[in-house]
Amino acid sequence: MTPTTPTPLPLAELQREFIRYLHAHDGVVTDAIAPGGRIAIGQRLDIYHHAYRARLVEVLQDVFERTWAYLGDESFAVTAEAFITAHPPGETTLQHFGQSLPDWLRARFPDDPDVAEVAMIDAMMRAAFEGSDAAPLRLEDFAVLTAEHWTHIGFDFHPTMRLAPITHNAARLWEALDKADTPPAARKLDSPTWLLVWRKEMQPHFISIGETEFVAIEQLARGESFAEVCADLDARFPDNDAAQSMGATLRRWIDDQLLVGLRNR
Amino acid sequence: MSDCSGIARKGGAAAFFMNSPTFPADVPRERPCQPSPGFGLGLRTTHYADFLAAPQPVDWLEIISDNFLVAGGKPLHMLDTIRANYPMAMHGVSLSIGSADGLDASYLQQIRRLADRVEPLWISDHLCWTRFGGHNSHDLLPLPYTEEALKLVVGHIRQVQDVIGRRFVLENVSSYLSYRNDEMTEWQFLRHVAEEADCLLLLDVNNIYVSSINHGFDAREYLQHIPCERVQQIHLAGHSDHGDYIVDTHNHAVAEPVWALYADACRHLGSVATMIERDDDIPPLPALLVEMERARAIAANALTANAPSSVDAVTA
Repeated sequence: MTPTTPTPLPLAELQREFIRYLHAHDGVVTDAIAPGGRIAIGQRLDIYHHAYRARLVEVLQDVFERTWAYLGDESFAVTAEAFITAHPPGETTLQHFGQSLPDWLRARFPDDPDVAEVAMIDAMMRAAFEGSDAAPLRLEDFAVLTAEHWTHIGFDFHPTMRLAPITHNAARLWEALDKADTPPAARKLDSPTWLLVWRKEMQPHFISIGETEFVAIEQLARGESFAEVCADLDARFPDNDAAQSMGATLRRWIDDQLLVGLRNR
Repeated sequence: MSDCSGIARKGGAAAFFMNSPTFPADVPRERPCQPSPGFGLGLRTTHYADFLAAPQPVDWLEIISDNFLVAGGKPLHMLDTIRANYPMAMHGVSLSIGSADGLDASYLQQIRRLADRVEPLWISDHLCWTRFGGHNSHDLLPLPYTEEALKLVVGHIRQVQDVIGRRFVLENVSSYLSYRNDEMTEWQFLRHVAEEADCLLLLDVNNIYVSSINHGFDAREYLQHIPCERVQQIHLAGHSDHGDYIVDTHNHAVAEPVWALYADACRHLGSVATMIERDDDIPPLPALLVEMERARAIAANALTANAPSSVDAVTA
């Protein structure tokens, strides 16, 4: 008795089943593949199954290069495979693939939040690398301001500027991994710390900042004036010289090309 | 089967169409392709410094469009800087022209905006599908060569051409499987699509070779059926030979059988813009320039030699 030829799948069904095979390495798409030739149907489909996963792992290795170095080849490979299974790509391009990896790592390694934080720096640095352009303010732009201006002026930050809280010494870890040095031991930080990421010219940068600078940036980004922010810092942190040090902080922001616009409040 | 190799040398689109069975001799028709800009390479980040440091002997460059669909920063800065000195073609990988659930309109608009910036020689992507139902394989998956798929692809190419405002350039992919319900060969499908959608072709000679080994067809028969007046560009690339099958990995130099097939393609097609496509294990620029010059020499030799090509020999 000759085997019956399966009924051809309509194109939409074929594509649905093909995707299912790529995800699960199994499915009825095998019935739609022509037999014959030097290799078997399973081997033909496996070429695609392997290429699908290999390409996605490669993207994760590229974006999360320091996370990869931190976990090591074997652990990163297992992690990447598990992530791909949990979050198969849906967007048209690969540009944002892996952006949810840091959060996913946080859940996967609850006892090692440093891993997720290193991955978060990788992701934020990539986003800053290809974020929007804006011409930075120069020191000369401030030279013309009068005392009257300073009572109501605010700032626009570079469009790539992002803030994220960190609890561990992920910044130190990332810097060591970036230089291919042995990273220090992971350690919980003593005080509330945020990561400040932005792009200076063509190069993404980050620094760790404390609570006063975080509060100042958040308020300025919300549209408050520099004078209002200084007054508020004075009230919130009466025991330190937060407001007084804002002059030096502002100068650093200018030198770091974090500011791109003056705003009249 | 007519041979187009005389067109470029002997002035002509008119000469071709006068002899073509497709168009009556009394209807003057333009050759749909632009004249060949010559020989080029794919622009890769590892070679940015070479292009910034000194003029390089390439006639044009091809960019992967998807790498520049970003808001700003170094990718676009480098693109603009290098574009100022070299003509560029845009080559995409995410259009998924064969998706049964339609094109991504916003991706198409992004391509259109990038084209406004680059003012490319032309815009290409692949005859394949990559995504369906909210999932993306990010791989160039083969279509079944059926009437159903043909109708879908032709409709999608028309949509693309409406948005980009010019003829779209469609590339043949390499493949490792075919479908039971195929109703025609790949070259028949490609020809029908090109003629019905009035689009152009990017002929990847390595892909023809790779698929010919994986599926056991005659690569020269494939070439012979290509509507040569529509071939805007040729890709040459390396592959990985696994014995029983070949994978289109773009991580090696162009293989000898592919060079031989390229010589046949040149004799058959005439003067066509050609580039070396390397995506992995990318060597220093000079190594790719050597390959590009080899392509230039093969093409020059094919265009000056009067010997009939083996493609024509098959036809005879």
